[in-house]
Amino acid sequence: MRKQLGFYIDANRCIGCFTCAMACKNQYHQDIGVIWRQVYDLKTEIYPHRERAFYSLACNHCENPTCSNVCPVKAYYKRETDGVVVHEQEKCIGCGNCIRSCPYGAPRHNPVLRKAEKCSFCWERIDSGLEPACILSCPVDALQLIDLATFEEPNAVQYPPGFPKFTSLNPSVRFRVAQSPTVIRRKRL
Amino acid sequence: MTGNNLEQIKKNLGCSMSRRKFLGCMAAMGVLASIPGSLLRPMDGQAGNGFEQGLEIFRNACPRNCYDTCSIKTFVKDGVIKYIEGAPESTFTDGGLCVKGYAYTRRPYSPDRIKYPMIQDQRGSGNWRRISWDQAMEIIAKKLIEINEKDGSMLGLALAKYSGNFGITNYAVEGMMTSLGYTTRLIGTPCWPAGIDAQNYDLGDMWCNDPEDMANARYLILWGANPAWNSVHSMKYIYAAQERGAKVVCIDPVLTQTAVKADVYWEVETSMDGALALGMARHILDQGLYDRDWVRNNSIGFDEFADYLRNEITVDWAAQKSGIPAEQIKNVAEEFATAKPASIWIGYGLQRHVNGGATVRSVDALVAMTGNVGKSGGGARYGHLRTWGFNYHALLQPRPEGSVGFLGADGPLGDFDFSGDKVDEYSDRPLNMNKTAEEILTTDEPPVRVLWVSCKNPLSQDFDRNKMVEAFKKPELIVSVEQFFTETVELSDIVLPVTTLFEEWTVNASYWHYWLSINEQAIKPMYETKSNTEIAAALSRKMNELKPGSCTYPTEIDPREWMIKEFNQGIYDLFGIDSWQDLKNGPAKAKMHPASWHDLKFGTPSGKYEFKSELCAEHGHQALPKFKEGRKPYDKLRLLTPHTKFGIHSQFVNLDWMEEYNPKPFCYLNPIAAESRGIKDGDQVKVFNKIGEVQLEVKLTDIVPPDVVMMYTAWFRNNPYNCQNLVDDTSSDMGAYKTGAPGVAIHGQFADVVKV
Repeated sequence: MRKQLGFYIDANRCIGCFTCAMACKNQYHQDIGVIWRQVYDLKTEIYPHRERAFYSLACNHCENPTCSNVCPVKAYYKRETDGVVVHEQEKCIGCGNCIRSCPYGAPRHNPVLRKAEKCSFCWERIDSGLEPACILSCPVDALQLIDLATFEEPNAVQYPPGFPKFTSLNPSVRFRVAQSPTVIRRKRL
Repeated sequence: MTGNNLEQIKKNLGCSMSRRKFLGCMAAMGVLASIPGSLLRPMDGQAGNGFEQGLEIFRNACPRNCYDTCSIKTFVKDGVIKYIEGAPESTFTDGGLCVKGYAYTRRPYSPDRIKYPMIQDQRGSGNWRRISWDQAMEIIAKKLIEINEKDGSMLGLALAKYSGNFGITNYAVEGMMTSLGYTTRLIGTPCWPAGIDAQNYDLGDMWCNDPEDMANARYLILWGANPAWNSVHSMKYIYAAQERGAKVVCIDPVLTQTAVKADVYWEVETSMDGALALGMARHILDQGLYDRDWVRNNSIGFDEFADYLRNEITVDWAAQKSGIPAEQIKNVAEEFATAKPASIWIGYGLQRHVNGGATVRSVDALVAMTGNVGKSGGGARYGHLRTWGFNYHALLQPRPEGSVGFLGADGPLGDFDFSGDKVDEYSDRPLNMNKTAEEILTTDEPPVRVLWVSCKNPLSQDFDRNKMVEAFKKPELIVSVEQFFTETVELSDIVLPVTTLFEEWTVNASYWHYWLSINEQAIKPMYETKSNTEIAAALSRKMNELKPGSCTYPTEIDPREWMIKEFNQGIYDLFGIDSWQDLKNGPAKAKMHPASWHDLKFGTPSGKYEFKSELCAEHGHQALPKFKEGRKPYDKLRLLTPHTKFGIHSQFVNLDWMEEYNPKPFCYLNPIAAESRGIKDGDQVKVFNKIGEVQLEVKLTDIVPPDVVMMYTAWFRNNPYNCQNLVDDTSSDMGAYKTGAPGVAIHGQFADVVKV
């Protein structure tokens, strides 16, 4: 398999601290209202306790990116070398096709520029031998950079509960699901 | 805070929050010409090879009141911060910061920032006018001279300062007060005093193992601590311990983020942690699982403690008090006693009660009787100040000749008071910081005529906010030193704009980990901001101009030189560095044993671990770590107001980047409590008690028990929410010994909720 960079989201380690999300803002200073990385708390149907388990999600840099497929001006390209999906904002005409078509909500509307934008996987940092800002920032190594060509983690899943399953896109993310502790509630009087 | 005030401030600031609007605003003000055009521009994606090309790297350190005291690498281009990262040299920070740290660059560049000295026509009116530094200093200095002449002393000048900035040079604020004479000081600490005293009685000091050493624990109890929110970098050591096979137990009234990462979570009855610890101790005693050799060789009073346990404590009693089933208590007690080394992290939550000090002593006893004190991977971890051996040059200033002060005060001036044991005829007048409102309202002869607030936001963080609003009407002049128009600034007369960490020189140590970081000036101070050191010099200049000899603080200072003056050979030796300049290459770690009390030479009067402390008894408490009841409920629900992950006290929540992820406050209620009150998820509710109320949106969840309502401490810039409307200033049992004033029973509070 060709090199394909991806995010490993270890929800069992993740503490939902939003450090990754803020590290992205720190690196790119997106306009207010534009969020490239979001930390979603899982519904209680998926994890029993509210706001206690999370998926940190940005662009999934899919094998078959719909954003790129629907873009009328080819403002997207997928890098041969590592599979990173790059959005070239200078080419973008703000038609919104990518925003509407991405089932993961990665491309976002920039209301100031009236264009789309999304997670770049920090490809400039990667090309300089650095880790993406979000991954470097994670205090508990819950967010990791992986190459799917060599990634071997038997417990990893691609479509955990709560993460939309779109096999035709083949998103470049893998997850480890969150466990619950033994909870001893106090006896109610 | 009223909506009208906020509107007025916004009007005066004339800016909204978007970056581009901010630039437009600055251009309109003529400020843009003075700063580089690349301000806050996003990365252009043209980096290619050499992403960091053209970037200067500076060293900074987070000076906030937080366990982690992160060491920061700041990347600057053309005088503007482009981004920041954690220092990779520190194994603790390991290249990362926290959610608050990564929002930092929005502080110096925030359009909301206070840019120049301002004066408010009529306190609380919102009618702010810009004045010059010279005008501001003249108003303040004249007032200080006036009150000194009227009262014959400077005691009418009171300082309210605490933990908004722990950078060492910020002790210039205290130094400035001293250099004016004997003044009034609001002393103590709202944070951790009951536990500090408890550890001093038991061990002779507060000293914790290296947090990185938690990885060596074979059993770990996280008790009233929530590092997943409040010390994110400590979590990796907890995970490391777990991965090596250690069992992690979390004890907390709330199913915290840390709790769900533990192996076992105990939902303890709030304030009953002491009963739980004593029940575990009794079982360990009964099973003969305590460490006889350790206890015999290294402690005093164990036999009496054992007698107390046998006579007055049972596991069933502990189970009844704490709500944790007896079988659970026995199991965990046995596991804890037999897994060696085993450690307990005592958080600052369980000591925020009227029985908080007694509780910490019970937990200490549990660690000690199992022989886990003084061992790597063990320890009763609370905090330490062992790496704080600075010169306190900014702090230690002489008084003006002939200064008259207060007679009869002795003892410490707070937990971070390093002024030593110097005995003068007079002293500063101490008031209890934890009863700031009450003290301002009742202090007389002279009353608090001038209040100086720095590194603190009492209106958002101190207790009984309604009373505080009343108290802030009393002084003749209130000066706030701030970066934003906080609720405290709104009730001040003059605000002086202070530098952020990126704009000043200082040095930072931690009360948790063993690292030391330098804080370089990475960018020039924005607008007319000055550091606390420079403000002190500016005031001294004006005082001496108007009345020569009235202030001993130097009138000309070089902030960088003053940072250097804080270093000494002791620090260099402790951190294994030749000079402060070595810290420019990255933070340094103290060459200390990872285990506190590893030499088993305790700082107590006996030199041993004291299960029975006569000193504690002399101070009016029980000599043994006996159970003490918590505060009696006065309303239907327990009110818990812990920290949010999006801020520290009142800081960070107001930043626009933080608002992206945390736009408004919520309170948390168990569905059982909600049902009986007809409350549905997402409803607007009123949380109220005998001292005040607050309205906000409710989230229903099982993370809180049915008898609890929880909401977080915060200060939002566009929302009047304030949890301190509901928290009164009832004292905890301990704290006066080491910090000068008892702590606050922050979690000994009650309230009820209704739908609005």
